[in-house]
Amino acid sequence: MKKQFSLRDFSLLLSLLAIWTFFALAAPQYLSARNISMLSVELAITGTLALGMLLVILPGHIDLSVGSGVGLVGGIASVLVFNHGWPAAAAFGIAIAVAVLAWTLMGALIVRERIPSFIITLGGLLIFKGAFWLVIGSRTVPVAPGGQTNLYSLLTTYYFPPVTSWILGAVVFTIWVFSTLRSRQRRQKLGFSVDDKELTFLKLFITGQALALAVLLLNQFRGIPLPLVILAVVALAIHILTRHTPFGRQLYAIGGNEEAAFISGVPVQRVVIGAFMVLGGIVAITGLMQTAYAGASTTTIGDQMELDAIAACVIGGTSLRGGRGSVIGVIFGALIMASLLNGMTLLAVSPELKLIVRGAVLTLAVWMDVKLSKR
Amino acid sequence: MSALLQASAITKRFPGVVALDRVSFDLQPSEIHALCGENGAGKSTLIKLLSGLHPAGSFEGELFLDGQPARFHHITEAQRSGIAVIHQELALVGELTVAENLFLGNERRHRGFLDWEKTWTDARALLAKVGLAISPDTLVSDLGIGQQQLVEIAKAIARDMRILILDEPTAALSEHEVQTLLALLRQLRIQGIACIYISHKLDEVFALADRITVLRDGATITTVAIADTDKADIIRHMVGREISQLFPRHISQPGAETLRVKNLTVAPSPGEKPCLHDISLHVRAGEVLGIGGLMGAGRTELMMHLFGAWGHRIQGEIVKGDQPLFHRTPQGALYAGLALVSEDRKRYGLIIDESIGFNFSLSSIGRLLRGLLIDQEAEAHTNQKYFDDLRVKAPSLETTVGTLSGGNQQKIVIGKALMTEPKVILLDEPTRGIDVGAKLEVYELINQLTAEGRAVILVSSELPELMGMSDRIIMLSEGRIAGEFTREEATPEKLLAAAMGQALAPVTS
Repeated sequence: MKKQFSLRDFSLLLSLLAIWTFFALAAPQYLSARNISMLSVELAITGTLALGMLLVILPGHIDLSVGSGVGLVGGIASVLVFNHGWPAAAAFGIAIAVAVLAWTLMGALIVRERIPSFIITLGGLLIFKGAFWLVIGSRTVPVAPGGQTNLYSLLTTYYFPPVTSWILGAVVFTIWVFSTLRSRQRRQKLGFSVDDKELTFLKLFITGQALALAVLLLNQFRGIPLPLVILAVVALAIHILTRHTPFGRQLYAIGGNEEAAFISGVPVQRVVIGAFMVLGGIVAITGLMQTAYAGASTTTIGDQMELDAIAACVIGGTSLRGGRGSVIGVIFGALIMASLLNGMTLLAVSPELKLIVRGAVLTLAVWMDVKLSKR
Repeated sequence: MSALLQASAITKRFPGVVALDRVSFDLQPSEIHALCGENGAGKSTLIKLLSGLHPAGSFEGELFLDGQPARFHHITEAQRSGIAVIHQELALVGELTVAENLFLGNERRHRGFLDWEKTWTDARALLAKVGLAISPDTLVSDLGIGQQQLVEIAKAIARDMRILILDEPTAALSEHEVQTLLALLRQLRIQGIACIYISHKLDEVFALADRITVLRDGATITTVAIADTDKADIIRHMVGREISQLFPRHISQPGAETLRVKNLTVAPSPGEKPCLHDISLHVRAGEVLGIGGLMGAGRTELMMHLFGAWGHRIQGEIVKGDQPLFHRTPQGALYAGLALVSEDRKRYGLIIDESIGFNFSLSSIGRLLRGLLIDQEAEAHTNQKYFDDLRVKAPSLETTVGTLSGGNQQKIVIGKALMTEPKVILLDEPTRGIDVGAKLEVYELINQLTAEGRAVILVSSELPELMGMSDRIIMLSEGRIAGEFTREEATPEKLLAAAMGQALAPVTS
């Protein structure tokens, strides 16, 4: 599972630099602290959703309904808060419960009735969109009444103060260093291949630099935005889930060879339903963040987000046939997608062209995946 | 020297292995030339070279066709030169008719449109040539394997092929179909079509071939005319050692009954006709129960059902010790102390793109926990133990199983089953497609398992293996038990008679 620094990783890094360079030249404010901060929120939203998507792509499924789901969840919470005066936390609870239930149901239909996930979630896409528009009455429903702040609106407007931000960055880096060194030490003890000392140090050094630079830039605006912390928590949770639990192990096994996994005693149905269930929860979190970011629930919230999530997964090295993919790759893929979309918005690219670029990127990523997995 | 096809001093390397080492081979006009050798001897690689699947330039040495140097860069170039390969997995489209398949990519046309009349007349003529009495508008999926094979050959004739390469053509055929095929090949030989025939079945080889070339470990061992050799000689060349030591069964004292199956009747799914009827059997600790039968007798179905992976039980029960088992999934079977090594390693056994370690611990991962998380150290240590015990030949636990040889892949599947520490081990064709050395290791392992007091149910379609390794043998025929024999009672004749559903009748051979 541990790979060397590959051509693929390298080309990802290069394309990210190319995207940043292009937009920085085309629009100098692209690299401003304010825009970097916005970009980081957008990264958090796309990344969180893509991490959920990873869970169902790993066992060889797909979910086209997450975009609509994002809209629906945000809509439900907004209506409860704005129209009915519920406290945000209670509204969150209902919204999350609805999403988990809906996704569990879809998962059950997919594995128990053996309907391809493509079809079930395509149905879900339409049903959730319709339900969403019904819920908000096809109007605009703000996340907080009359310019007030509540938990809902704070979701994307809260920034950790600079000192706390530095501490957060340091904590993340410490965890990173600790887990890298521990895993290296363990692998060495078991006689597995490891990067040599210099390379390990170099990687940690660069990671530290990048983290410090990010915190520095974000602090120039308002500090680390809350969504970024949510992304970090979700990423850590999904990483542990996929790499350190039997559930995750079995997700990879099902994607690699479902029949062999079944014969090996993997409860295939339960695991896949579980993956959809967790995805439901993540869709809810994403829906709340995305709606809060827009400030209100409107009919277009969540449009095409399923495609961004799938593209982020595939760009990050997740195989659509299942069995391959990692958290760090997906976050990288999400960073590329978010950088691209943010840049286009900044340049005021027309929505028509935006659609075309999105489609082209998705196609290119899948084509690369097909090419690379053929070897 | 006017060889039709000649390969001289061919060397083909794969990363880390020399698959063929200065192999020479020639095919004369109107000759049937058999290619023999163990799995991994290099037969398939040689075929792939001759048919353009390994393109010119990817190997050293030269090919000659009609004395002219031939360089195939692609499989279609070899086909254009008249070389056709009939593969083990047939390349026919099941949803199309026989006639459509015969001219696939080579359609009979009239002014750009399909000429159905000519398609059917030509198809009929071709089918007559291969002795198939079926209508050209039969769907291929409605044909048996043997008939499909004949359609493949007819397809090759339709393209004016001069050289047929048949790779294990009779593996899935009934005796009657085998005879039809052999007769056809003899007839084609008269018409000037030469043939390279690859088979493990020496009876066929000796009934058919003019010459035999034996490959071993990627090198040509010998090429002899059929008249100058005999089976024992060929086997000696193939194995390179005496084979008397092949079945080293150490009989251990059987203990208490471990598993009992009572009156089991099973259908593929609810509402269908049963394909296992009233099966009753038992196996004791330390005992090897052999299960034999012809293809389609229900051996694999029985194993898969016992393991909870297949079928709808109409009646009967499975009892372990004195406790009835109700499992309906492999997960439940594993929990009950059963383990299965499936017959189809690639399909049911392995996650081919994952590492050895991943595959080893897949069935036992729920027991290698610390809290809710996988205890990676415990996992690695357990994996390492099985890696060493089974003497897996691979660089490390992190090697992808897809890169291993068949024998080593089989060890991974077996290791995965053993790691669950089963009381009863179901081995379905455990030595299929692995070389003699690895087979021997599997046999040793069976001895070791029974010595530890585990019960083994061994399914095998090779009678020598079944007789050599079983303490008791049950033969299945059309989903029923057709006979039970002790090790001492069993003779090939008796077993075969039972398998064919006959009360002991004289066996023709």
